[in-house]
Amino acid sequence: MDSWYPRMAKPWDSWGMLACLCTVLWHLPAVPALNRTGDLGPGPSIQKTYDLTRYLEHQLRSLAGTYLNYLGPPFNEPDFNPPRLGAETLPRATVDLEVWRSLNDKLRLTQNYEAYSHLLCYLRGLNRQAATAELRRSLAHFCTSLQGLLGSIAGVMAALGYPLPQPLPGTEPTWTPGPAHSDFLQKMDDFWLLKELQTWLWRSAKDFNRLKKKMQPPAAAVTLHLGAHGF
Amino acid sequence: PAAHFPFSCCCPEAVTYGFCPVPLPPTEAPHVQYERLGSDVTLPCGTANWDAAVTWRVNGTDLAPDLLNGSQLVLRGLELGHSGLYACFHRDSWHLRHQVLLHVGLPPREPVLSCRSNTYPKGFYCNWHLPTPTYIPNTFNVTVLHGSKIMVCEKDPALKNRCHIRYMHLFSTIKYKVSISVSNALGHNATAITFDEFTIVKPDPPENVVARPVPSNPRRLEVTWQTPSTWPDPESFPLKFFLRYRPLILDQWQHVELSDGTAHTITDAYAGKEYIIQVAAKDNEIGTWSDWSVAAHATPWTEEPRHLTTEAQAAETTTSTTGSLAPPPTTKICDPGELGSGGGPSAPFLVSVPVTLALAAAAATASNLLIW
Repeated sequence: MDSWYPRMAKPWDSWGMLACLCTVLWHLPAVPALNRTGDLGPGPSIQKTYDLTRYLEHQLRSLAGTYLNYLGPPFNEPDFNPPRLGAETLPRATVDLEVWRSLNDKLRLTQNYEAYSHLLCYLRGLNRQAATAELRRSLAHFCTSLQGLLGSIAGVMAALGYPLPQPLPGTEPTWTPGPAHSDFLQKMDDFWLLKELQTWLWRSAKDFNRLKKKMQPPAAAVTLHLGAHGF
Repeated sequence: PAAHFPFSCCCPEAVTYGFCPVPLPPTEAPHVQYERLGSDVTLPCGTANWDAAVTWRVNGTDLAPDLLNGSQLVLRGLELGHSGLYACFHRDSWHLRHQVLLHVGLPPREPVLSCRSNTYPKGFYCNWHLPTPTYIPNTFNVTVLHGSKIMVCEKDPALKNRCHIRYMHLFSTIKYKVSISVSNALGHNATAITFDEFTIVKPDPPENVVARPVPSNPRRLEVTWQTPSTWPDPESFPLKFFLRYRPLILDQWQHVELSDGTAHTITDAYAGKEYIIQVAAKDNEIGTWSDWSVAAHATPWTEEPRHLTTEAQAAETTTSTTGSLAPPPTTKICDPGELGSGGGPSAPFLVSVPVTLALAAAAATASNLLIW
């Protein structure tokens, strides 16, 4: 978080207002039905998850274009380069290179799962406020796809025996109607949401690539070797 | 007119001035002056009075008196050829009064700046140049901002208009802003570009592209290549490849996109035709395609040509052609009777020889490989 810029007071942060919906996600069935026949392992579902991130990234490109045009200038200008203010609760994809490289599988998957859970929740909030029917339709479609990605990640985690992240008791977000949010700042939040979503999808592709390589046959030998080097 | 000593006179200044001048006091070196191309300039003769009697010379050559305004030299419409060492002398004593080293040039126009990451995720580099020359020395200053954070751009050891930045974080939503300012004695200019981490990713072309004929397969060519050595981590950041190939005689390329692996077998090559093959690379998800690789040339395997002197040999020839041969293309039909009349030895086709040739070298061997 840039320390140059004055710290803004929290009350105008719009994310709190949308928090209530997030509770819904935490109660998703923890283990989706898996095809346990055959000894394919998690490989195919990792591939599927990878493919989904690509599909979503593609879908997001047109959705973001439309939405930013709807927000109007300067949000739809290609050189728009605002400082990252507010939107503090957005899950950030950015990570130190060495830290990212050395993430263990469980942490890598967990970070993805948590990120998309939050992003989906915020997107649903965006959808409710979207002005045109067409925007709402596009957003709804995207939310459904994103839901699918979440399910896919959950499937991979289950196949590998990792528990799905659950929110700590007492930290579950609740509805807190805050003061009216300035129009411009609201748009800034929307801008950062879409930006972060796009970046996460690029990162996930790399994350799942890495997982895919580790799972490839001769999986046992490769994984053990990589494990020994702390990958 | 002043008496001039011959050039062989005993002083080094004779070379520059054409005579042996009374040397300047040791402290006075030529005054360096930069002037703009096309402009007018008046050079005073140091501290001499306006009405002092002086002679001006440039690089040892007399200048016509009509260029003078009193003791001052007036140059109009400066051209590049006006650059040089101007000296004024007291007309009678040939006492050297003043020297000016004049450089004619231009202020810098807006520089052209571009950045690229061929070593993702390690970092990126930026290149710059001026669209038109200034003819005088320029200094460049590059600054890189990531949000509010200043990043160091390390000068390239070999190229003077390139510097390198190392990524500290990956998957950043904050854009990078690279600014460059250029200045010289006549002016100043600057430009800046902003971009996201992902948009500037462009690998170097694949290396060591080799195409070989496949023995006993007249329509196949086996192509292999390597990921560019500058790409630091192909495991975590895999590359996909794009292969294009065509026979030299046609203009239209065939394309194949490959998401995996560094080898491919072309199975629809025209028999006996020399092919040109190139490969490009791209990160699987982000950035743009590399430039095309150095071209590889190869011709598919063809049967060793024989001279059909006896019927027995003719029968042998027909039975040795395999059934997998597709009908030859309609462009040029290779007349079997012409086999063996093509120049050069036929043996090479039966030997797997890696053929990675620059086009110039390929031309020399082309006549041996092509069989019509």
